[in-house]
Amino acid sequence: MPNNNGLRILIATVRVPFVSGGAEIHAEGLCRALREAGHQAEIIALPFKWYPPERILDQMLACRLLDLSETVGMAVDRLIGLKFPAYLIPHPRKVIWLLHQHRQAYDLWQHPLNDLHGYRNGDDVRAAIHRADTELIPQALHVFANSRNVAGRLERFCGVQAAPLYHPPRDAALFYTRPAEDFLYFPSRINPLKRQDLVLEALAQTRLPVGICFSGSADEAAFDQKCVKLAQKNGFADRVQWLGSVSEEGKRDLYARSLGVLFPPVDEDYGYVTLEAMLAQKPVITCADSGGPLEFVMDRQTGIVAEPTPEALAAAMDNLWEDRERARQWGDAGRQRYNDLHIHWGHVVEKLLA
Amino acid sequence: MKVLVVSSGVPFIRGGAEILADNLCQALSAAGHAAELIFIPFKHYPPSRIPDHMLACRLLDLTETCGVRIDRVIGLKFPAYLIPHPNKVIWLLHQHRTAYELWDHPMAGDLIHHPDGPVIREAIRQADRELIPEAKAVYTLSENVSDRLRRFCGIAGEPLYNPPAHASLFHNRSASDYLFFPSRVTGVKRQLLVIEALAKCQERTLVRFAGEADSPRELAACVEAIRQLKVEDRVEWLGLVSEEQKRELYANSLGVIFPPVDEDYGYITLEAMLSSKPVITCSDSGGPLEFVVDRQTGLVADPSPESLAQAMDVLWADRRRAAAMGEAGRARYEDLKISWENVVEKLLC
Repeated sequence: MPNNNGLRILIATVRVPFVSGGAEIHAEGLCRALREAGHQAEIIALPFKWYPPERILDQMLACRLLDLSETVGMAVDRLIGLKFPAYLIPHPRKVIWLLHQHRQAYDLWQHPLNDLHGYRNGDDVRAAIHRADTELIPQALHVFANSRNVAGRLERFCGVQAAPLYHPPRDAALFYTRPAEDFLYFPSRINPLKRQDLVLEALAQTRLPVGICFSGSADEAAFDQKCVKLAQKNGFADRVQWLGSVSEEGKRDLYARSLGVLFPPVDEDYGYVTLEAMLAQKPVITCADSGGPLEFVMDRQTGIVAEPTPEALAAAMDNLWEDRERARQWGDAGRQRYNDLHIHWGHVVEKLLA
Repeated sequence: MKVLVVSSGVPFIRGGAEILADNLCQALSAAGHAAELIFIPFKHYPPSRIPDHMLACRLLDLTETCGVRIDRVIGLKFPAYLIPHPNKVIWLLHQHRTAYELWDHPMAGDLIHHPDGPVIREAIRQADRELIPEAKAVYTLSENVSDRLRRFCGIAGEPLYNPPAHASLFHNRSASDYLFFPSRVTGVKRQLLVIEALAKCQERTLVRFAGEADSPRELAACVEAIRQLKVEDRVEWLGLVSEEQKRELYANSLGVIFPPVDEDYGYITLEAMLSSKPVITCSDSGGPLEFVVDRQTGLVADPSPESLAQAMDVLWADRRRAAAMGEAGRARYEDLKISWENVVEKLLC
């Protein structure tokens, strides 16, 4: 029984069993923030499997069949939809905070890593996804997006407008800075979309003896092996450290002691790494096609935006390695920018429940 | 093994089934497996929503995740146990009860009151009859649940008992002057029946009730009965107590009263046995009857105030016998080998 005016709120998302990443942290952060604001909140996380493509249609239908309008006679005051296809669940008071659409049907359709494209029925399933998103997303009372990048894609592909709504990384208050040591830090799942391979190729092109610490678990064994081989082939295994999965404390320590942070993903939706680097007062090297990070990194003011080539990335890495004082200044400017953007949960809750 | 536990329930409500699902995941992890819970929200009204949710479950695909096989799915509640999987085991907590034994129950029956109720009931029964046997093995929460499954669907399921939370922390002390009745305060647990029985006791029996009321209405009904029957001085109403307090209340009691209507399983019986206390239950109480051996580990009364009063008097009048029955209950618990290790082994074999 609510003992105040708190709302009963369900957060609808999907998850791939046994995989936990940014989207899970996001949903949990939102749930916690809603509870701290005095509401009753729970996460509904449906399982999702995207292959073969016809399974996507099944799961879209499954979402449409669920009824979250009320529980034991009491209204659910708000449904907050985060991920495809969970945001398709009908509700009279739904707000969508779009983490991302099913990217293989949109911006990643032509991408070499896309699997949907390769199936005989890929085109049809893609069309069904487009149609569902275009017709059903506007049923929500309000549509927000995780970032300007995500909002831009929704507008471009579906003609639906969404306001970007930023949120802080987990435990934002616990990040700190320390004097720079001799390494650049690249925290991310080891995954082709994060482009650890590109960074290793860049390392071969650097003039200076740049060192890199990688942390994060490997999603796919094949890509992980490719990276390890690249490091060995180029003969600078001693300039590369693979830390694997590190604790949250360990991660914050690595941020704090790094010279700068590398984060050059392919068209990232949002990217906590950028924000965490800014919180740790470190400059960020990202790429011109990295998406989300570009909303935060100001080229030559809080980091470097390089072309997605080994040569350009190598130049950016040399640049930070060479001028430590400037790297420090850019890091400070990044922290200042984070503060100016007012990224906090109180603001998010206010927007989603308005 | 990679194991998914699948269950359904009502958002914002956390009851015994949710606790059991969490405990099962913990037990699987403790045994070295990767285990996660998949929770499918379920709204059972209007009745036409039931087939929608059944279909939604059939549309989900838990065969693998990112190309890696999921080795086992364990289905607990309707309709989540309908999710297809080549290596599914069902551990049936209960079916959709108002389509079965509660169909025409005066308080619980809901489907029966809708024009499409009979059709939906048949759809539920047909799905259960045809799809439950898809599982490699069917276990149930209790003999009571197995019996219903056999009676209504002609499907055999083996009872697989699980221990109450923190089983090792229950203990026994010498009996004080009260009987203990821990339960949510609600119609099917029959606190009212016990209050009526108190008025018929020959002895000056005292009952301590612990547990939250499901609604203010349920609580008011009990308070009113206590006043009308003038048993105010024979009742202590404790409300919600902590787990630790609950264990102390068990330990110091003379015996435990647990007379629900057709309970699926009932941790209270087991907690009483762990505390070496005799249990008074009723002949229509369901789950408790699998554990309470009449006149040996407790008393099985008829569900009438007179019969219950008699049972309460027996314990009150003969403390030594009550203690002996309690000891026998504890011995019976040990004999039954109720442990999570056993549950995990059965569900994964």
